[in-house]
Amino acid sequence: MFGYLLRRVLATIPVMAIVALFVFSLLYIAPGDPAAVIAGDQASPEDVEKIRRSLGLDRPFLVRFTEWSLQVIRGDLGTSMFTGLPVTELIRQRLEPTVSLMVVTLFLAIGVAVPAGVIAAWQAGTWIDRLVMAFAVLGFSVPVFIVGYLLAYVFALQLDWLPVQGYTPIASGFWPWLENLILPAIALGFVFMALIARITRATMLEVLSQDYVRTARSKGVSEGNILFLHALKNAAVPIVTVVGIGVALLIGGAVVTESVFAIPGLGRLTIDAIVRRDYPLIQGIVLMFSFTYVLVNLAIDLIYTLLDPRIRY
Amino acid sequence: MTTSVSTAPTLAMVRPEGPALAADLPDILPPVKTRRGVTGLVWRYPTIAIGLAILVFMLFIAIFTPLLATTDPTSLAPAKRTREPSMEYWFGTDAFGRDIYSRVLYGSRVSLIVGFSVAVLASLIGLAIGLVSGFIRAIDGILMRIMDGIMSIPPILLAIALMALTRASVENVVMAITIAEVPRVTRLVRGVVLSLREQPYVDAAVAAGTHTPMIILRHILPNTLAPMTVQATYVCASAMIVEAILSFIGAGTPPIIPSWGNIMADGRTLWQVKPYIILFPAIFLSVTVLAVNLLGDGLRDALDPRMAKRL
Repeated sequence: MFGYLLRRVLATIPVMAIVALFVFSLLYIAPGDPAAVIAGDQASPEDVEKIRRSLGLDRPFLVRFTEWSLQVIRGDLGTSMFTGLPVTELIRQRLEPTVSLMVVTLFLAIGVAVPAGVIAAWQAGTWIDRLVMAFAVLGFSVPVFIVGYLLAYVFALQLDWLPVQGYTPIASGFWPWLENLILPAIALGFVFMALIARITRATMLEVLSQDYVRTARSKGVSEGNILFLHALKNAAVPIVTVVGIGVALLIGGAVVTESVFAIPGLGRLTIDAIVRRDYPLIQGIVLMFSFTYVLVNLAIDLIYTLLDPRIRY
Repeated sequence: MTTSVSTAPTLAMVRPEGPALAADLPDILPPVKTRRGVTGLVWRYPTIAIGLAILVFMLFIAIFTPLLATTDPTSLAPAKRTREPSMEYWFGTDAFGRDIYSRVLYGSRVSLIVGFSVAVLASLIGLAIGLVSGFIRAIDGILMRIMDGIMSIPPILLAIALMALTRASVENVVMAITIAEVPRVTRLVRGVVLSLREQPYVDAAVAAGTHTPMIILRHILPNTLAPMTVQATYVCASAMIVEAILSFIGAGTPPIIPSWGNIMADGRTLWQVKPYIILFPAIFLSVTVLAVNLLGDGLRDALDPRMAKRL
């Protein structure tokens, strides 16, 4: 058991190294002259040269990459070109709203989508099933910011049930914090719910046709217990896998959702960085999010061993 | 479906050339049969029919935009800014007095071009890398680790980072989204190749001395087409959404080009008072992506009946 955990944890190191290498290489892959693009159209040749030096584009790739990797290992993601502050400091300031949004979205999406998928599989072929699947297709088709504006317009502007925009830190109370996050979480979770509901329905359909489900039925186990105890437990591994994969959707969607709902998190920081062409900041954010994604999927892999004792390497 | 497709060519070959004999044909092969086949297909896979119908409609709009549009989508008319939808301005005007109806029509071009280009490019590149990876063990490990690495970067963030380093243009948007989508296609193709390699008919071909390129071309490639087509529709749908998101946050197509994402970005500051600026491009974008997804779901059911029951 411990050996497996150790191997699995060590296996993420090469993946992270490749992520870092790829994120770093973007400066070199991008067509054209990145320094000139970042400097903007009105920049003088001296400015372009200065930016080229600050990005390290004037030195050989390998030298620069080694330097940069050592920096990243020490936890230094570089310095923002616009504010002059360390990237890690800027990220730390904006971490709370984004983490809050994602945690609320995760709870909400799993809480809604898993039961919806289970019921759809149980009632396969009926109008309930069709309704859930129709919502799922819609979830894949309507971009997150459109869902966001729609929700904000109906539930905040017209009905006045929830605040339109903004963020309240959790330190000022649980309800004010949650109140501001409900609409963004539904918007952000829409695709995620579609994804989870689909995979839950698919795996549940498979599990429900198994012999042990028939045995459970024949010995008189209640339908609810069959669905949520016997069957869901055995359908858990694919569902958890998709939850892990879907975190990439959450990260990408958070950037847009925060902009719609004026949440001062990492998404807003990203958009500010785009507007100011602050590449070191963008690079730092991309790297941080990618590492988070790798670690989330590591955690998911470790959860497998809890869900299914047969999984051992 | 397979029977109607496979029998049609053989019957056509049997069909006599002479016009005198052709009159007898309806007795052997009533033309109703093929028609029934097509309508039967529509009936069995309604999602394909609906998806295709909407897409053809959007394609029609995109091609005939100059004829359908009422004004130049970029002409400014500050005196007529933020007009509500009316007979003169069907979808209203934006903060610069530009006609949203005309802009939305032009936006269909950007979305369709980006969606189709990314789907085709990502499929071709993914196919090439996937085939190489599935066939050459020595490179497989390295290629797959690289793909894992790219897949660990959330696609939208990868596209944002690439767009921050290049000049805003439709070509660069296509490139950025393609790079983000390639690993998923590659993984799919590689998976298919690995399972096909174990098939007896591939062993037979190897035993018969067929060269590897011929095996790939004749035995492997045709079998990757079905899953690839389905995957391509999903890539297309995802590319349209990512393009809109990139443009919406200011990292996509240049603001002067009327893409759906850009129109919505222009309406962002006014959304509370003038929601229609966002509403119309939003409807067009969602319906188009929905059509592509319906087409994809339908194709998946049609091409792989075993999967149809599951998802």
